[in-house]
Amino acid sequence: MSPDVLILAAEEEKSGLFLILPDVSELIWGAVSFVVIVFLVWKLAMPALDRALGDRQKAVVSQLEEAEDAKGAAERLRDDYQRRLDEGVERADQMMEAARSDAESLRQEIIDRAEAEAAQITERARAEAESERTRVLEEARQEITSLSLDIAEKVVGTQIDASGHQDLVERYIRELERETAE
Amino acid sequence: MTVPILAQIVEVPSNVNHLFDWPAVLPFGINRVVLLMFLATLVTFLFLYLPFRQPRVVPSKMGVVVETLVNFVRNGIARDIIGPESAKYEWLLIPMFFWLLFLNLFEITPLIHFPVTSRMAIPAFLAGLVWVTFVFVGLKKHGLSYIKNSVIPPGVPKPLLVLVIPIDFLSTFVIRPISLAVRLFANMIAGHIMLAVFFLTTASYFVFEPKIVAFAIPLAFAIVITAFEIFVAVLQAYIFTLLTAVYIESSINVEH
Repeated sequence: MSPDVLILAAEEEKSGLFLILPDVSELIWGAVSFVVIVFLVWKLAMPALDRALGDRQKAVVSQLEEAEDAKGAAERLRDDYQRRLDEGVERADQMMEAARSDAESLRQEIIDRAEAEAAQITERARAEAESERTRVLEEARQEITSLSLDIAEKVVGTQIDASGHQDLVERYIRELERETAE
Repeated sequence: MTVPILAQIVEVPSNVNHLFDWPAVLPFGINRVVLLMFLATLVTFLFLYLPFRQPRVVPSKMGVVVETLVNFVRNGIARDIIGPESAKYEWLLIPMFFWLLFLNLFEITPLIHFPVTSRMAIPAFLAGLVWVTFVFVGLKKHGLSYIKNSVIPPGVPKPLLVLVIPIDFLSTFVIRPISLAVRLFANMIAGHIMLAVFFLTTASYFVFEPKIVAFAIPLAFAIVITAFEIFVAVLQAYIFTLLTAVYIESSINVEH
């Protein structure tokens, strides 16, 4: 392509109107082409596209339903586990409560038994102390009586009637005890 | 036959007149523009059909792209603008958007480098189709009162109707299709001419003054404009489809 060709072509005198007016054969073939593309698009392309969209929508819906079912099953399983767990906790609480109650009653029983035993031991000790005191007093009384008889014999210098003196001393001791008690 | 057709599609123009002048190369007035229309029709169909030919639950990457674009036209354009009745007009909006997209993108497609929409035929045909569609929808929905309601705004003083009626009539029934067609056509031909100018300048410097690096300047511009034209190609397809939806909606819900 030489510059002369460009210049000559540009200088060629021609009205610009032919640019705005459509070429008749191009217009007719354009119309035919558009009718053909509309036909092809609506007979083949759009049905294929809509079918693909429909299939995908169905697949998505089906997967959503499956997911929903799986979720429902998982929730049911979780509820079941939760129920079992709650029951276990409740049962453990009951067992602990029963154990606590048993322990409390056992403790009370042990305390009661210990208190009873302590009371028995105290009572027995008191009784033993009382009998020991009585025995000691009796022995002291007899010792005093004997001593007083010995002393009286030494003072009087003669053998006195032992049984008479015995009665006398015991009477004296009893009076002494009574006075002491008053 | 295949080789000449292919040669036409990837043809290197012999002179600058080929920006505008396309003689027939086959019977029935079939020229390069018509061959590119056929190619765009085939590419559009394959683009929309191939990713979904085999049923797949998980779509391919291409399938995701196509699905996203179709949903964009369905929801972002048709449903958002027309409303509940949008499904009735998807037959027009979806093929129109993708067909225009590929026709526009031919502008920067290697070996083609020609936007078919820079010829008036397709913008004019589609604008005519849109005009027929929105007028038909309005008449079917509201009868003859559609015309009356379209040209007589409520609350306008009667003396002003003399001015308002012709203006509204022209703007709704005459200017709309013309502006729709010219907007697309002018944007695409402007981009095409800009690219042609910068690439031809680059080639001229490179061929006749190869030692001077001046060819780098128009080349840089050409690259930037190529990127911009990708944006314009998508935008013009979107605007044309969007305005179609707006016109249909205005016929369904004529407010006057």
